[in-house]
Amino acid sequence: MSNKAARIGLTGVVLATAFGVLLYSSLGESLQYYKYVDEVMAEPAAWHGKNLQVHGTVVPDSIGRKDNSLEWRFDIQRNGKVLRAYYNGIVPDTFKADSEVVLTGTLDDKGFHATEMTAKCPSKYDAAPVNPGSRPSGGA
Amino acid sequence: MASLGYYLLLAAFVVCAYAAAISVAGARRRSRALIESGIGAFYLLAAIMAVASAVIVYSFVVGDYSIRYVQRYSDSVQPMFYKLTSYWGGLDGSIMFWVSLLSFFGSAAIYVNRERHRELIPYVVTVISVVEMFFLFLMIVHNNPFQTYLTESPTDGTGLNPLLQNFYMAIHPPTMYLGFVGLTIPYAFGMAALITGYLDDSWLRAVRRWTMISWLFLSIGLGLGMIWAYEELGWGGYWMWDPVENAGLLPWFTATAFLHSVMVQERRGMLRVWNVALVITTFFLTIFGTFMTRSGVVQSVHAFGDDPELARLFTIFMVATVVVSFGFVIYRLPLLRARNELDSWLSREAAFLVNNWILLFSAFFVLFATMFPTLSEAVRGERLTVGPPFFNQWMLPIGLTLLLLTGIGPLLAWRKSTVQNLRDSFLIPVTLGVVTAVAVALLGVRVWTSGICFALSAFVVGTIGQEFWRGARVRQRATGTDVFTALVGLVARNKRRYGGYVVHLGMVLIFFGFAGEGFKQKEEAQLKPGQQVKVGSFVVRHDALSITDDGQKQMITAHVTVLRDGKPFAEMYPAKWIFRKHEESPTTEVAINRGFAQDVYLVLATFDAATQTASIAVDINPLVNWVWMGFGLLALGIGIALLPDAVFSFATAPLPANAATTALIFLAVVLSQGVALAQDTIPAIFRSPLERQVAGEIMCNCGGCRLSVSDCGMMNCHGKSGQMGKIQQYIAEGKDHDAILATFVREHGGYDVLMQPPNRGFNRVAWLLPYVVAVVALLGVAFTARRWSRHEAAAPDAAPIDRELDARLEDELRNLD
Repeated sequence: MSNKAARIGLTGVVLATAFGVLLYSSLGESLQYYKYVDEVMAEPAAWHGKNLQVHGTVVPDSIGRKDNSLEWRFDIQRNGKVLRAYYNGIVPDTFKADSEVVLTGTLDDKGFHATEMTAKCPSKYDAAPVNPGSRPSGGA
Repeated sequence: MASLGYYLLLAAFVVCAYAAAISVAGARRRSRALIESGIGAFYLLAAIMAVASAVIVYSFVVGDYSIRYVQRYSDSVQPMFYKLTSYWGGLDGSIMFWVSLLSFFGSAAIYVNRERHRELIPYVVTVISVVEMFFLFLMIVHNNPFQTYLTESPTDGTGLNPLLQNFYMAIHPPTMYLGFVGLTIPYAFGMAALITGYLDDSWLRAVRRWTMISWLFLSIGLGLGMIWAYEELGWGGYWMWDPVENAGLLPWFTATAFLHSVMVQERRGMLRVWNVALVITTFFLTIFGTFMTRSGVVQSVHAFGDDPELARLFTIFMVATVVVSFGFVIYRLPLLRARNELDSWLSREAAFLVNNWILLFSAFFVLFATMFPTLSEAVRGERLTVGPPFFNQWMLPIGLTLLLLTGIGPLLAWRKSTVQNLRDSFLIPVTLGVVTAVAVALLGVRVWTSGICFALSAFVVGTIGQEFWRGARVRQRATGTDVFTALVGLVARNKRRYGGYVVHLGMVLIFFGFAGEGFKQKEEAQLKPGQQVKVGSFVVRHDALSITDDGQKQMITAHVTVLRDGKPFAEMYPAKWIFRKHEESPTTEVAINRGFAQDVYLVLATFDAATQTASIAVDINPLVNWVWMGFGLLALGIGIALLPDAVFSFATAPLPANAATTALIFLAVVLSQGVALAQDTIPAIFRSPLERQVAGEIMCNCGGCRLSVSDCGMMNCHGKSGQMGKIQQYIAEGKDHDAILATFVREHGGYDVLMQPPNRGFNRVAWLLPYVVAVVALLGVAFTARRWSRHEAAAPDAAPIDRELDARLEDELRNLD
């Protein structure tokens, strides 16, 4: 009986370790830091070259697009800190001035080069803020 | 009205508390009267919740905007259909909807089982009541849907977001809730068994059906959510491992595991602790999923807003659930000892065990990756996230392994498979799989994961086909009938097993569709009129951009011609709609050309009206439709498993007199449903036959009725009157029937404005299907009638050719269902 328990225990330990190691090693490559604009801009150089998701709001009148292309340039900000962002591709419907976006990509001296853009999409579960101008609600 | 609603909720809470307390008292004193009183109180709860639901629906319908919830989720121009569905549109209402559904489900479960499981029922009432009390408490102290404006109330509502005014979005949440709520019933029975100590397998029998029903709703809910994302959000896919999606997937994994392991306990008396633990875990995950999506713990593109107070309440409830539930499991461990041990790893129970571990690991992994940002913030003080590629990297091999097991499991015998067994049963399926693998390799499929998936799919289909065929042959020999009747009889004798195989077949189709993802092609291009872009074997040409206005919204439509190998393939109209009330967020109207081989999926991303330039995203999505078909087959399989015995009596029971006649009449009625349907239309006045014809072919755009313009019965329907006006206008312009329909399709930007798709291409399937079904049914009727009218032939000596297989089948057919 104890022999059996030991076998089960050993199998469990081996499996758990194997999964743990696999999980940890695969995690390393796909890890992304999730930061708000002001956190990144506090020390931009520290973030150069890292996989990064940046969360902020689009600065009004900063959105520009190269003619006849899908190359976008805009600023995102939070708490007064502003970050210049570049994105090539189709933007979501909800991408506009003052909308909340999460950009995935990397940072360098010129700004943030996004490979992916998600705009907070509206949900049934969160209605329009009751007082416009208050803290942008954490979800949408 | 608002105060009436609130008092009803208070009353519901009191009744719930009474039901919980009196049931415990009744069970302890063994007083029939007290127990009956508890059951009665629970029925009363259902009645109260029905009335409260009626109150809130009534408030939406009449537009009582003094109630905050009504004001925030509807407005006066909203179509009636979406006014009704706004009930579960917001957080507060969705909790109330949850409570109502659970009270109805619970009442039904208690009613059905009150005699059969008399010793469990009082505690079942208690457990469900306590869960209900938690959600009622939430509503009363924190999320009261009947809260009113204290001072002046607004005169109109803010309206539901246009993205969510979509047919699938209206029916997807209630389907998910039905699945979630239904999983409370197995938990309640499991807990009742633990509390009372009646831990024989009878509680399993009580919950089997409920788990299947909930699992069905959960699966359909997930499928509908995928279709909604695919058709409405316009990013070309259907699943992106968003926390909200994952929340629905977690209990699905554990419920699937339970549906398999429950068979091991029934057959072999093993895995008893495991099954109780799975039921508890599944229930916990439904609550946890709700918590995750409602409280702002997890960041998501469509998270639901921060609510620390809600998070705190949920945490207390979840901790209490885990401690109490598993406390009882530990307390009852001596009673849960397994009656048997695993004989061999080459047995079906071992296959089930491995399947369970993998499913449970999937749930654990998805939970871990979903919660990873929150975990890392708690541990490292820094928010780290993992994206969809991480999920895919892990779930791909896991999914393929599960698919492999789906093929292996049914081929193994219970207890221990002999070498002879293995050779007999694996030969055909493995050959099929290998042949497919070789064919796939020779055809030069470049995505090896998809290639493996195709081969495994063939293997599983081989397994299932062989099971049906061998079973039917054995039964045919034993009963001396024809193969068709033997097959029906086989399914009837063992609905759960063969229904399960149909579900497996559905899963194979779904995986087949997933495998198509590997061949996805994607292109984005900025096109002036006349310019084109090549994607795979398709060429997409932008012809023109049109801007129209229907009063409610501005519609910018790109007119696109798709060519394949130089030949015209389809005309498509991707569009952007800008609603008057929501000008800041235009909606994307995707154009999809569906096919068995692939979908051509076009999105109008941006446009420049001055130069007629459009940037168009083109997705070629191979095999996507197989996923939806798989979900359909899955529902059919569960349906078979859940059918009452009586349905199959014609094939199993000795034939009563006149049965054939009755069956013929019944089938005739079923087949002629068109006649019955034609009678409930509301007469409308048409000026010409053409007008009547066109109105019958255009779908009313009021948003929810899905009826034709001539059939939409809504009073003063704005969609209807506008469309009738257009039809009359076009007739006045001298357009003929086809031209009018073409104009509607162009203006609307898609064929979904028509009641029936035009008769060409893939659309022919939709046309053909009813006729195919009718022909098959007629053949079936003729066949059955002929057989039954024959004199009972003397049954041939049932000399089994394959004694071992016969023995195995009979052994398995016994008492399984």
